[in-house]
Amino acid sequence: MTTHIVLIGVGALGSHVALLARNLDVSLKVIDFDRIEQKNTLSQFHTRMSLGHNKARALAQTMMGLFGARIEAVPHRLTADNVDALLSGGDLLIDCLDNAASRRLVQRWARRHAVPCLHGALAPDGAYGRVIWDEHFVIDEAPEDNQATCEDGEHLAFIAQVAAVLVQSLQAHLAEGATPSYHLRRGEVVRVA
Amino acid sequence: MSTTHPRRHEARVNITLNGQNGDMSDPVPFDATDQQIKHWSLEAIRSGTVSGISPRVAGSLEGCVIDRFPATATVPVNRIFVRPRTPFG
Repeated sequence: MTTHIVLIGVGALGSHVALLARNLDVSLKVIDFDRIEQKNTLSQFHTRMSLGHNKARALAQTMMGLFGARIEAVPHRLTADNVDALLSGGDLLIDCLDNAASRRLVQRWARRHAVPCLHGALAPDGAYGRVIWDEHFVIDEAPEDNQATCEDGEHLAFIAQVAAVLVQSLQAHLAEGATPSYHLRRGEVVRVA
Repeated sequence: MSTTHPRRHEARVNITLNGQNGDMSDPVPFDATDQQIKHWSLEAIRSGTVSGISPRVAGSLEGCVIDRFPATATVPVNRIFVRPRTPFG
């Protein structure tokens, strides 16, 4: 039976998650209000052809064009007003958001509706990542002076590695109901739960 | 440097600071406060007993986050991670 997955945030991690999940027996809905900038093409699975386009719509178009993979695109920002409408129908959520407020919306909704949720998270310097099922997920606030340096392309391989581990954890869940969680550092994957 | 195997109420502590990573040589109580863990971690780094982290890298751990994972069948020891924040996705 096809699992309906809602992927929220298709920037660095989320766009690569969509790429790597394309052969799974899932239907994918992706949510992102943001638009593609030049710098995004260094660290995200978005192309120059899509500059200025909405990330969710561009990703759906790219996946269809390259692989014939159909993705439902939702080009909206997740808010308290639309969270029910946007997340309803999902059998499983994947949170690859870049801000704590939106992550809280997803986490609360997932817990209220008892929907499994897998979170992906990156450090600003692109040197630490987490792939954590909701039971163990702690939302990190960004410091006020926090600047993401993981956007310059230097950390693309690490970002892809975190995305790959996330999809592997998803596969384990789909196959056997497992919920393996991981911390990642460069060249090292540590199972934590 | 070998690490002491933690007992049931203890946890192994792994620290990541400024891109360097290592385990504390001794376990700590699993229910220690975040401030205690940060204090002990910094002392261990400064003393040079955290293999993998240079004493020279020691700065403040105030911006770090403490994660706690109880032992499971798959991971049979309590683990505590002192790690950088991961606000992005």
